[in-house]
Amino acid sequence: MTLNSTLYVLRETGHSMKRNPWLSIASVLTVMVSLVILGFSVFFLANASNMAKSFESQLEIATFVQSSATPAQVQALQSQIKTMPGVASVTLVTKEQALVDFGKTMGGSQSSLVTDLGGTNPFPDKLTVKATDPKTVEALANKVSALAGVDKVRYGQGYVDKLLEFTQWLRWIGLGVVVAFGIAAIVLISINVKMNVFSRRREIQIMKLVGASNSFVRWPFLIEGLALGLVGGALAAGIVGVGYNWITNYVQSTLTFLPVVQNMLLFRQVTVGLLLVGMAMGAIGSGVSLQKFLRNS
Amino acid sequence: MIQMKNVSKIYLNGARALVDVNLKIDKGEFVFLVGPSGAGKSTIIKLFYRDETPTRGQVQINGKNLVRMKDREVPYLRRSIGVIFQDFKLLPNKTVFENVAFALEVIGVSKSEVKTRTRVTLDLVGLAGKEKSFPHELSGGEQQRVCVARAIINNPALLVADEPTGNLDPETAWGIMDLLYNINKRGTTVVMATHARNIVDKMQKRVIAIESGRVARDEEKGGYGYDA
Repeated sequence: MTLNSTLYVLRETGHSMKRNPWLSIASVLTVMVSLVILGFSVFFLANASNMAKSFESQLEIATFVQSSATPAQVQALQSQIKTMPGVASVTLVTKEQALVDFGKTMGGSQSSLVTDLGGTNPFPDKLTVKATDPKTVEALANKVSALAGVDKVRYGQGYVDKLLEFTQWLRWIGLGVVVAFGIAAIVLISINVKMNVFSRRREIQIMKLVGASNSFVRWPFLIEGLALGLVGGALAAGIVGVGYNWITNYVQSTLTFLPVVQNMLLFRQVTVGLLLVGMAMGAIGSGVSLQKFLRNS
Repeated sequence: MIQMKNVSKIYLNGARALVDVNLKIDKGEFVFLVGPSGAGKSTIIKLFYRDETPTRGQVQINGKNLVRMKDREVPYLRRSIGVIFQDFKLLPNKTVFENVAFALEVIGVSKSEVKTRTRVTLDLVGLAGKEKSFPHELSGGEQQRVCVARAIINNPALLVADEPTGNLDPETAWGIMDLLYNINKRGTTVVMATHARNIVDKMQKRVIAIESGRVARDEEKGGYGYDA
């Protein structure tokens, strides 16, 4: 391509967008809507897996130590559990601490509470064990309960399986939503691009008949696709960015128990990703659907 | 200039458009292709600017083999051939000037040269003053002049026309024929498929009659030759 042709191509791109403003607007809107949905579905996936993770992280094995154990024995037990494979952390909650915590929930003072309880502290020492993999909680709990000095363990027996099943589903649904809307976005945008090219097939045919090379015909379409995709992607990134911010703020102030992802890195990745995807889809879509017309003329 | 050797063309739907056609057209000739509709005239014209390739046989233009030609060479072939269509094939949302200039933009001519050459060519076909009009604002004859201007602006060695007067009234048609006659006088080879009996009879040029995909008649200074 010579410089003169390149200049012509650039002028042509501008002309064609001005001449078909509605087609251009329709393309931008299609890209925008598809990418907004895709963007939100990515955040949905992020939140679904975040929620799953947060549910799972609440899984812990409460290990109650036999009341006869001395503080030294308790500490020995703690370090013994720590060395077991699959253990992430072991936290000691002493019977004194447990009493204080309990007192706080009751709202009374500590000394009167002990008196109220008959002068003795009924709480056992507790070791809170967290597993590295939530799936191993049950097996780990069984091993821990077999250790000497352990009175009993509580880990939400019967409820763990259901929770794990639920979190797994949550992840799959999040992923499924992203894949489904990703495909939908590709289909929508490619249909739009095809219509764009189809509406100009006569123009393409005439260009080729007077001796335009394929690249001469292709470049204005690619640049136009790129530009429209970029505008659509930018609008989508803006809408998703502002919209997600608003939603997270709303959720955090009203449904405080729901964990929401407010990750700047993810946020930037999604918005920049939408921009790039918009551009790429616009340009590649134009190129691919144009190729069919070019081959046949 | 043009050589066709044992050319046969069978379309994908099985239609046999050309059967073993042999033709030789010399530089500077003016040739009419006549014959009933569907006889294969348009197919021959399309072979020349490689809109179609033959199923069998060879086509050569200016020593270039069009059958063995690669797709990426086709644009260069088309820049050396001017094509005039019955339906003009103008770009509807470009002005007269832009339509004619387009053939130059395609090959990367500078803006100032595009301007002068387009003006000269529009003058030549009698369209001076219509530069800013759009095709739909023109009469059929004027639109065909735009098409002729676009076809000749690159000074092609060969000008092919598929029923260029088919959509025009007799008087306008003669205007276009005058143009083609003068272009031919300047040395350009002209091949024109037509049904216009009076034009063929009056011009007294070489006439090649095509019937059922075969050359039925080929005579110098011939006439249309079919009864009305």
